Amino acid sequence: MNLQELYAAIDGDYTHAAKVLRMDKLIDKHIRKLPGNNVVSGLVEAGRAMDATAIFENAHAMKGVCSNLGLTKLAEAATLLSDEFRPGTPRELTDSEVAEKIDEIEAQFNKTIDVIEQYASS
Amino acid sequence: MFKSNQIQRPQLVLVVDDQEINRDALGVILEGKYEVIYACDGKEALEKIDEHIDELAMVMLDLMMPEMNGYEVLEYMRENDRMRHLPVIVLTADKDAELKALQLGAADFITKPFDLHEVVLARVGRIIELSEGRKLISAAEHDKLTMLYNRNFFFEYANRLYNYHPELHLDAIVMNIEQFHSVNALNGRDFGDDVLRIIGNEIRAFLAETQGIASRFDADRFDIYCVYNGDYRDLFDRFQQKVNSISPNVSIHLRMGVKPWREKVEPVLMFDRARAACNMVRGNYQKPLMIYDEDMRMGELLNQRLLNDLKSAVKDRQLKVFYQPKYNIQCDPPKLSSAEALIRWDHPELGMISPGAFIPLFEGNGLISVVDNFVWHEAAKQVAEWRDKYNYTVPVSVNISRNDVFDTTLIDRLKELVEENGLDFSHIKLEITESAYTENTKQLVDVIEGLRNLGFEIEMDDFGSGYSSLNMLSSMPIDVLKMDMKFIRNIETNETDRRLVQMVLDIAKYLKVPVVAEGVETENQLEILRQADCDLVQGYYFSRPLPPEGFEELIKREITIERN
Repeated sequence: MNLQELYAAIDGDYTHAAKVLRMDKLIDKHIRKLPGNNVVSGLVEAGRAMDATAIFENAHAMKGVCSNLGLTKLAEAATLLSDEFRPGTPRELTDSEVAEKIDEIEAQFNKTIDVIEQYASS
Repeated sequence: MFKSNQIQRPQLVLVVDDQEINRDALGVILEGKYEVIYACDGKEALEKIDEHIDELAMVMLDLMMPEMNGYEVLEYMRENDRMRHLPVIVLTADKDAELKALQLGAADFITKPFDLHEVVLARVGRIIELSEGRKLISAAEHDKLTMLYNRNFFFEYANRLYNYHPELHLDAIVMNIEQFHSVNALNGRDFGDDVLRIIGNEIRAFLAETQGIASRFDADRFDIYCVYNGDYRDLFDRFQQKVNSISPNVSIHLRMGVKPWREKVEPVLMFDRARAACNMVRGNYQKPLMIYDEDMRMGELLNQRLLNDLKSAVKDRQLKVFYQPKYNIQCDPPKLSSAEALIRWDHPELGMISPGAFIPLFEGNGLISVVDNFVWHEAAKQVAEWRDKYNYTVPVSVNISRNDVFDTTLIDRLKELVEENGLDFSHIKLEITESAYTENTKQLVDVIEGLRNLGFEIEMDDFGSGYSSLNMLSSMPIDVLKMDMKFIRNIETNETDRRLVQMVLDIAKYLKVPVVAEGVETENQLEILRQADCDLVQGYYFSRPLPPEGFEELIKREITIERN
């Protein structure tokens, strides 16, 4: 599996990633590092504790990482949560809706990681 | 030739982000054009800034970071003198963060993700360019040693204050260090620089307490333009005490001139006046502070008037030459020997002006040559006229100023003057003041030798007024010594003065140089000088300076005595 095939499999935007990181070498480096990145696990943990500050910080960091890598859906989900928990902004979602979103993110992330691991081992 | 943009120092950029992918994303954009270093959080960023402060061109700073976030970094930098001027671009995906970051001193912001590489590079380039430009302006604007403004910027800002803030009543202060070249020469340049730096610091501390600006105008001159309602003596003492504390072994004396605000006067004129006041107390350690006042203003106006009027004074013959006789007192009765030509100015509106009021003024700006030239011509014509009228020649001495000595046409002009009037070179004597002998000795000696070779006699004027040395007497080409009148003033009552006069006469006799005693007013003085073997005497005892027609009476009397 090459990088472009990986992006097709995870529904990512390879063109965007290439625009940001310029070199396949860098895309490859950070794609391989994604499973070890703790921003999503941190978000899940913060969601379980419903810790607003931690949810915001992790969602914000995840948004940056996913956005750079062209992982559009994960980036959009992270943006929604970081906007929801931005300090000084009124909440729009209920706690259960937030928990639901975080579950969706976790599932999506795990699915993406599975494919990345296949890519890494290919 | 290099263009300025080709002479740039290497540009180091620090990228601060906790996410490696963000650091890499920026790295690929920047590394082709800049040298890039990285930090993972705010704490590491400050360490790297501190380490590379002299090489860093800018910082790209993420706001959301663990440990120490971007806002905290900005706050720290804002409070730190070394870091305050380093430009920072914040990296954010959050529009709301921009305002806060800019308020904390960020120069610009770039939003994530960094997909528009050219935009990132253009913004980084522009911020660095602006910052470098600011640094250059700051370097040109400030004196590196004292961090006060340089002269040109100072006057630009002073003019702005004057024009746009008329509500501020700003005084002009000029401060100098007495004999600063000696301070440097005796203690080294580094010590001198320390002195200047300490004064600069104290001026800045003073300005922090009031409204104003300051400049190191040049070497050891400081200009301060400020609002000050206190006593200037206290302000002077504050600065003097500061320099007193620099070293117990070195005495440094300041002097200060002040032009207080009285009415709307342009800064350049205010500082001219403060400088004039400061110059008036040069070398006066007892009174080192001078406030420019109405008397000084009137004096300046008079000076300006005299400078303006000199041309018409020559043209309209307001300048008059008077003659004071010199008598040989070794004859009985004393014999008229020669005369000194002295200038007088009969101003149509100001009346008779004392030479003391205009000669130092003209000496200061070179116009004295105009006066000298006038006197030389009048005197030469007068000698010729008396010779033709009375068949009697009275040699006349005229002054040669320091300025004249440096005029390369001097010898030719004097030669022409004598020849035009059909005189002998011995009929015009040349008086050169003693102080001229101490400067540019070689050139002076060459000029004097040239004049003596023609046949002119050289008289050293004002001998003993301050600069004489015995060595100079023996080595300088002099035909006559004119002893300053201060020697004579007290010879009747002061034994020391009498002995001094005797000593000067003995030395002159040994050197075979005749002496003219100036300022002789009484018979007693005359008798003492005669007994001491003084040859010639000039002074009120015989006659005050006279206009030509008055002097003719002396000539007639002399002719009568000779006939009898």
